[in-house]
This record gives sequence, C-alpha cells and structure tokens, in this order.
Amino acid sequence: MEVLRIEGLSKTFGSGRLEVRALEDINLLVAAGDLVALLGPSGSGKTTMLLCTSLILDPTQGKIAFNGQTIFQKNGWAGGVDIRRIRREKMGFIFQSHNLIPFLTARQNVLFPLSLVGLKGEVAQHRVMELLEYMEIADRADYLPALLSGGEQQRVAIARALANNPRLILADEPTASLDTMRGKKVMELLRKIAKENQSAVIVVTHDIRMIEGFDYVYQLKDGRLSQGH
Amino acid sequence: MDLAIYDLKLHKGRFIATIIGVGLLFTIVLAMNGLYRGNIYEGLAVIKATNPDLWVVERYRGGPFNEQSTMSEYYHYSVKAVPGVEQASPFIYYTVERQIGDQSRHFSIIGYDVFSGMGGPQKIVAGRGLQHAHYEMVADQKLGARLGNRVLLGLHTYTVVGLTRGAIDTNGDPLVYLTLPDAQEIAYQKDNEEVRTQRARLARTLNGQKSLSPVVASNLSAALAPDTHIINAILVRLKPGVDRATVAGNIRQWLYFSVFTTEEEIQLMLKGRLAGMTKQLLLFRTLLMIVSVVIISLVIYTFTMEKIRSIAVMKLIGAPNQVIIRLVMEQSMLLTISAFLFALILINQTYPYFPKTILLVPGDEAITFIVVFFGGILASILGLLQALKTQPALALGGQ
Repeated sequence: MEVLRIEGLSKTFGSGRLEVRALEDINLLVAAGDLVALLGPSGSGKTTMLLCTSLILDPTQGKIAFNGQTIFQKNGWAGGVDIRRIRREKMGFIFQSHNLIPFLTARQNVLFPLSLVGLKGEVAQHRVMELLEYMEIADRADYLPALLSGGEQQRVAIARALANNPRLILADEPTASLDTMRGKKVMELLRKIAKENQSAVIVVTHDIRMIEGFDYVYQLKDGRLSQGH
Repeated sequence: MDLAIYDLKLHKGRFIATIIGVGLLFTIVLAMNGLYRGNIYEGLAVIKATNPDLWVVERYRGGPFNEQSTMSEYYHYSVKAVPGVEQASPFIYYTVERQIGDQSRHFSIIGYDVFSGMGGPQKIVAGRGLQHAHYEMVADQKLGARLGNRVLLGLHTYTVVGLTRGAIDTNGDPLVYLTLPDAQEIAYQKDNEEVRTQRARLARTLNGQKSLSPVVASNLSAALAPDTHIINAILVRLKPGVDRATVAGNIRQWLYFSVFTTEEEIQLMLKGRLAGMTKQLLLFRTLLMIVSVVIISLVIYTFTMEKIRSIAVMKLIGAPNQVIIRLVMEQSMLLTISAFLFALILINQTYPYFPKTILLVPGDEAITFIVVFFGGILASILGLLQALKTQPALALGGQ
C-alpha cells in the first residue's frame, strides 16, 4: 500500500546568480513496510529532501502525495490540508541527536505525542509502557534524558516516534551519535518496526555500513536521486 | 500535559531564585504603594485628629501645617466673640529634636488649652491626660518614653503622665502634648545668657535715642522684651446649627485672618506639602513597574530561548501553537503570580519595621496585582513571538 509518492520534486534556494538547486526532479515511491535508505555526502540535499518530505519546507515544484492524498502540487499546499495534523497523527521522527525534550522523563517524552492526539489517562500510560518495553527501556521510564546513555536516549526517541502508530517514520542520521554496535541495533530495530508495524521507514544516513538489509537504497548526489542497488 | 510545570520542576532552583528576585522588586512596588498612602496618612493625621470646625490662622497664610502661621495668643478672645462661635482655643505646633533616654529623637510638640481640650490628644492608651498647668506631658508611644519618665525640654523637666497611640505629625514623627504655656515657653523662652544679650542690645538701642531719658529708656526696655504669647492657629468649635461659611466669612472680614475648614486644611496639605512627594512616589512606582515588566520579559525570553530546540521538536512532531503558547504563558504567569505572592507575604511581614508609615490598602494590592498580571502577559510576548517564529526545521538541523 502506497504511503508516500513524490513526483518531479525540485527545491531551489535564492535566485539569479545566487540560485542553488538543492533538489532536482526527485521521484520516490514508498509503500507500507518499506525500509528505505537515503544515502549521500554532506551538501547532497539530504536534509532538504527530509524537510520537504516532513512537509516543513515548501518545494519549488513537483507533487507530494501522502496515503494517496495529494498534499503538495505544483507550487502550493493543497487546500484544507492540516500539515501539522498529518505530522502529528501520521508521521514519526527520529533525530541524529535524539532531541528528547530535556525536562520530560522518558515516559513523558513518549506520552507527549499521545497527548497531542488527545489520548490520556490509563490508555495512554499503557501505550507508553508497551512502547518502552518494546524498546527494552521500560526500567528507565522515569529517568530524565540527561541520565540516559546515547543508545537509551535513541531508543526512547524511537518509542516516541512510534507512539501514534505512524504511517511514515523519518529518521535523520539516527546512528550518527552512536557507536557501530549500538547503531546496528537501532537499524535492526527500525527494520523490525517497518515489518511488524507496517510503517514505511525512510532513513537518511551517510554511513553505508548501517544499511544492511534495507529494502531500497537511494543515492542523493547534487540534488539528484538515483537508486543505489 | 503540563509542560511548563515539568520544565520548572527541572529548573526549580533557578525558578525560585527568579521568583525571589522579581518578588523583591514587587515588594518595593508594594512598599512604595504603602509609602504613598502612608505619606498622605501621616500628612493628614494631625489635622484629622484635631478636627475643629474651623482653623483660624495668620492672614494670607495656609498654616499651621502647610505653612508657618504666627499670631498673638490673645486673638482667640476676639474669635470667640464672633457670633456663632462656641469655643475658640489657641494652638501651637512645632518640631524639635531632643534626647529621649539615650537616643536623639525628632518629634513635634502641640501646645493646647487644657481647659477647652481642643487640639489635645484623641485617645490616651496608658496613664492620663494633662491635669496640671505645668511640667506634664502626654507622648505618643512611638517616642519611646514610658509613663513616669522625665524629659528635659528647654529649661524644665517634664513628666510623662500619659501615652497615646498613632498620634503622629505630618512627617510621621511622634506628637508630644503640652499645656499651651509650657509649649510656648519651650518654643520661645531663651536661656539666661541670651536674655541678657538681648536686653543689652535693646538697652543700647534705646540709650542711643537722644529723645529718651535713661529712666524712660530703662522702663521701655522691660516693656519691649520679646513676647512669648505666640500661637500658630486658633481652633474653633461652632454652636450647633450655625452656618460654617457665614462664621468663616465674618472672621475673615472682621478680624483679618485666614479661615479654613478641616477639609480645606486637608486640601492645602494635599496640594501643598504632600503634592511633591506624592508625585515622586507615583513616578517611582511607575518606574519600578516598568523595570519589573522588563525583567520578567527578559527572564521569559531567556527561558524560551533555552527551550527553542525543544519547541522546534514539538512543532515538528505536530504540536499545535496552543501547546507552545501555553508553555510560555504559563511560565510567565507562574513567575508573575508567585513573585507577587512572595512580595505580598514579605511586605505584610515587614512593613511595621519601616521607619516611615507603610499603609497597606487591599485595593492598592489588588490593582498592583492586576497591573503586574497583565504586565506579565505583556512581558511574555517577546518570548512568545520567538517561540512561534521557531521553525520545526531547527530540530532536523535545518534552517
């Protein structure tokens, strides 16, 4: 089942002599359960691609469809579409530096996206503990992020990303701040999530060692996307 | 999910320190309010306590408190003779500094006619009123004297026979009540050396007059000795049913004095002596309020900037603006309300220790709270705008 379709997407910054074409004619189709890697060196347009896919940055051209619904077409967001709501209910985000909210415990960090969709009380608490147990971090539920190791923080961040059962998970260099062994564990976890939850997972990375077992690998170079293998 | 509370719990030390800092500022604002009210209370206390029907003072003067007024004691007989006047009583008021016990104290003396009672102490809380013609005094507790204490004033020693509470002069200093002759003596009686010098100076002047024989000059010298029967005002009580304005008009017209009702005396003080200080205190209060709002604004801005990445993450994962607004505003409100409560408790515990009267009025406190509350909302706008401007891309290391 199609989750994300990107057609002819371009993004240009500046104009005239200062014009920078960050993305050019990007086409991408991601289905439920797909584990997709976006590889590319610094400056290749990975972050711009992620920002456009996250519906944060307006593309200059192209089309973005999410769950079969056109979100962006030509040069404008489709009318009546609540982009924040899509991000809140249908997307999950995992960051390079974990980006846990420092004043919330692990439990509260996972609870936060649930509270945004109105899930409260015991149902929400049960869901939080379920996710933390799934991530094998339940014993650290009441710890603040500062008291967790990098790997533990990343597991909490993944639990948070999974909280609302997202259709699409976007991971920005999720292993960059972890050692190889922990990085591989995180990638394994993402693979498991993609298959078990039937979520589409797009991982942006520059580390080729981490993409073992991915369904699709794309290479981004000078703003152009090509299939890796 | 109350993000503001969770954040403050993590930074409670800093939050408490900020509450104390801002709270101390609010305490000064409340103290200024109290000082403003206290200044008016002190300035008017003696007028309201004395409260005759009319104040008769030297012509063209606004005395006896707002401006110096000097008149002969004997004019009170003339005032008493005016139709409609039931009682006219001489009144003298001046400020002195004397040693009371082992401390130098600043206080005011009121000399009044003990027999009419007008101008005397309102309520004696210990001891009794003045009963003898000389060498007794009634003092306010604030003076620090006790019943039976003997106080040297001028050339004589006076015994404290009674104590009052809340009897203060226009500066908030305690009042001391004496009989009129004693008060006049303390004010005008010179010591022997000064009397001798004055007599010699007068004698020299008279002896220089060729038209005067030495005998006449000597007799005149005694007659021209300085008069100590000087008063500052005459307090008037009117007969029941008499028109105040008519009697005041008659005294002005026939006796060439200035006449004021107690309400007019109050207005003279408010527009005269008290006006400058009142405006000054109002200016201080306004400045302090502005400073408080600026400080809260900076604190909330700093709090918000420290959370800017978390705010970006919240926005990225789809948090609506209300969540961000609530986070910033709730912290601002909590800071403002907590600091105000701290200030309220502190000022209520400490106001008796201020040297000047701090008069705390619930209405003033309520108005101050409303102003700081809306000031707090205003102050948080800077931080709020910054929070709302934050791009979710910041969470991804983007723009």
